[in-house]
Formats: sequence, C-alpha cells, structure tokens
Amino acid sequence: MTGTSQVHQTLETDREVADDDRRTFVLDETGFKEVPKRWRRFYRHWQGEGDSLGPNEVICPVCKVVIRSTREFRPGDRVYCMPCMSRMVVVRRDDGTLEAEVTY
Amino acid sequence: MTSTQLGAAGSEGLDSEEPHGLDETAFYREVRSFSFWFEAVEGYLEGRPHGYVPSTPDEELDPRRRERLITTLCNYCVGEAAALEGASGMVRLAPNHNSRIFMATQVADEARHLEVFLHRLGELGVTDPELEVRRRAHPSIVAFKHQLLELVDAGDWDAAVFALNVLLETLEFTVFRHHARTADVITSQILDGVVSDERRHLGFGENTLGHHLVGHPTDRTRLIEIKGHLDSLVMGALDGAYGDLGLHRGERPKLGRDYLQAVERLGILS
Ligand SMILES: [Fe+2]
Ligand SMILES: [Fe+2]
Ligand SMILES: [Zn+2]
Repeated sequence: MTGTSQVHQTLETDREVADDDRRTFVLDETGFKEVPKRWRRFYRHWQGEGDSLGPNEVICPVCKVVIRSTREFRPGDRVYCMPCMSRMVVVRRDDGTLEAEVTY
Repeated sequence: MTSTQLGAAGSEGLDSEEPHGLDETAFYREVRSFSFWFEAVEGYLEGRPHGYVPSTPDEELDPRRRERLITTLCNYCVGEAAALEGASGMVRLAPNHNSRIFMATQVADEARHLEVFLHRLGELGVTDPELEVRRRAHPSIVAFKHQLLELVDAGDWDAAVFALNVLLETLEFTVFRHHARTADVITSQILDGVVSDERRHLGFGENTLGHHLVGHPTDRTRLIEIKGHLDSLVMGALDGAYGDLGLHRGERPKLGRDYLQAVERLGILS
C-alpha cells in the first residue's frame, strides 16, 4: 500500500491536457497491482484521512478502491471496477458530489 | 496516452484502453477469466511464497499479543476452510461456465489463504495448527461453516452465493482490512494480499445475486429468511473477532457498516 505523500504526488502528475467540454487526464501508475498491468493506472487505493478525489475519480462502494478515468466524470457515465468486477453508473448526490452506484 | 488519442469526450467516446469503454460482455469476459486472475495475483503475490516478502524481519510479540494473534488466526482458518470447502462445492452448482471458471479461481485463492494462515501459526510457535484451530474456534464461525455447507450440499446456488460471497466475504473483508492496519508487519502483509483476493469474491457475490434478483425479485424473500438464520452467527463471529483483536465496544459498530451496506444494496434487509 502506498503512503499519503505518494498519493498527492500521483495526483499532481496526472497532467490535465485539455479543457474543452470535459477535462481529460493522462493517468500515471499509482502502485495499484490488483488487476493486470494494462488496467492498473485506472485504479488506486484510497489513503484515508488527507486523501481526496479528483474530478476523474469515484470510490467503488463495493470494495472501496478509487476508480479513475482519463476524462472528468459526469452523472450517467458508466464505470467498471475491475478489482471487484462491479458495474456502476455515476450519480450526483444532493450535496453535489459525484458517486458511483452499483447497477446489476 | 495523449489528449489527441482521447478525442472528443462523448458518453461512448472513451478510448479502447479505458476499462470503462468496454461493453458489458467484454468486461465480464475479461474479469472472470483465468488470465485476468493470474495476472492480478501475480501483481501482488510474486516473490511472496507465504504471503509476505521473505526478507521481512519478524517482530518480537509480547506473550499476550502473541496469544491473541494465534486465536485470531485460528478463527480466520475456520472462515477460510469454510470458504474453500464451500467454493469447491459451488463449482458444480454454478449455473454457467463463466461462474464456474470464476469459482475455480476462488477455490485456489481460499486454499492459499488457509495455507498462509496455517503457516503463520507455525511461525508463531504453534506445533499442531489443525488441533489449535479446533481448540480455539469460536462457536459462531463453526456454526456458520456448517450452515454454509448445508446450503451447498442442498444444491442451493443462490443461497450459497449469498452466505459465502456476500455474508462471509464481507465479514472477512471488513475484519482483515481493519486488522491489517494494526497487525505486526508480516501478518499485515499477509492480510493485504488476502484482502486483494477477497475483493473479487465479494464483488462476484454482490453482482451475481444483484443481477439474479433483478429477474427474480420474489427470491429476495427467501434470502431475507436465510439472512435471518445466519445473522446472529455473522454478528457472533464479528464480535468474536473484535474481542480477539482487543477492540473496545465503541469501535465495533463502525466495522459492521460494510456488512449492512452490502445487504442493503441488494435489498436483503430483514
Ligand atoms: Fe479467503
Ligand atoms: Fe474469499
Ligand atoms: Zn470495487
């Protein structure tokens, strides 16, 4: 598991490369190893207190891993959590935050 | 990957490199395959023959902490043996090859969990781990194991998935994650690897059952009934684990939250 400092470093190196309708991101490796190599940069471990989600990140409600995308999330987006094999859709909560909701 | 490759960000315009761009069939084919399992476990288990990096120095534990850890690991062994025996029986019950192949990977995972916990007991000075497991097992987890295997023996796939991949897996996931944060460094590494496996198992359980309940909503009533039978055993096992880990009462309800959230998402709250 990575330390908090590494998370901040990782987030900072996720370079924002465009700012059109949706921001897009280049994802770097996060030290996450629970899926085959080609998918690893799309996931990271939540580091607890002091950690925060980027606009291209949501937490999997089933297994608590952070799911990432190369683009900013919007309500209605389909999201897959490969570490726990869950299918989700992004929803906006009453407080304005984005969350992933499991779809069966 | 570059922004040019990403192109316009329409709802279906994701790059094929992105998992979220897969269609549902391709996603399940990928994550429930042996190659996915093999590459995933290779990522976090390579070079860890007993679940931890061999060069890791073992901490000197005071006798009370060592005793507690032995009891905890003995009870983990009961849970893992239940999962191993249950999952192996469920290979035969699976309604399709996709689920059958997944259950086969789970059998291998559970066998490894049992093996690494037994090995750790040996390192802690337990000369006959199997005997010690029988001596120290809490009645709740032992009774849960019997109930689970009865469901498997009865050929009841849905109930077995619920008992094993939702109830037992959520219980283990919750307790192991908490324990990994406070355990000695070797036990902690072992638990981290086990938790990575359990993610797949509990995700399979929730998604398989959730999908089934969409088509068969009336089956929910039967699962609520089964939950009613098993609830006290799950809570008893959780309570036993908290006690062994030396947790104060005030810390305990927080750890039951994952369990409640999982059954709530499935609509199986009694
Ligand atoms: Fe296990
Ligand atoms: Fe498991
Ligand atoms: Zn997940």
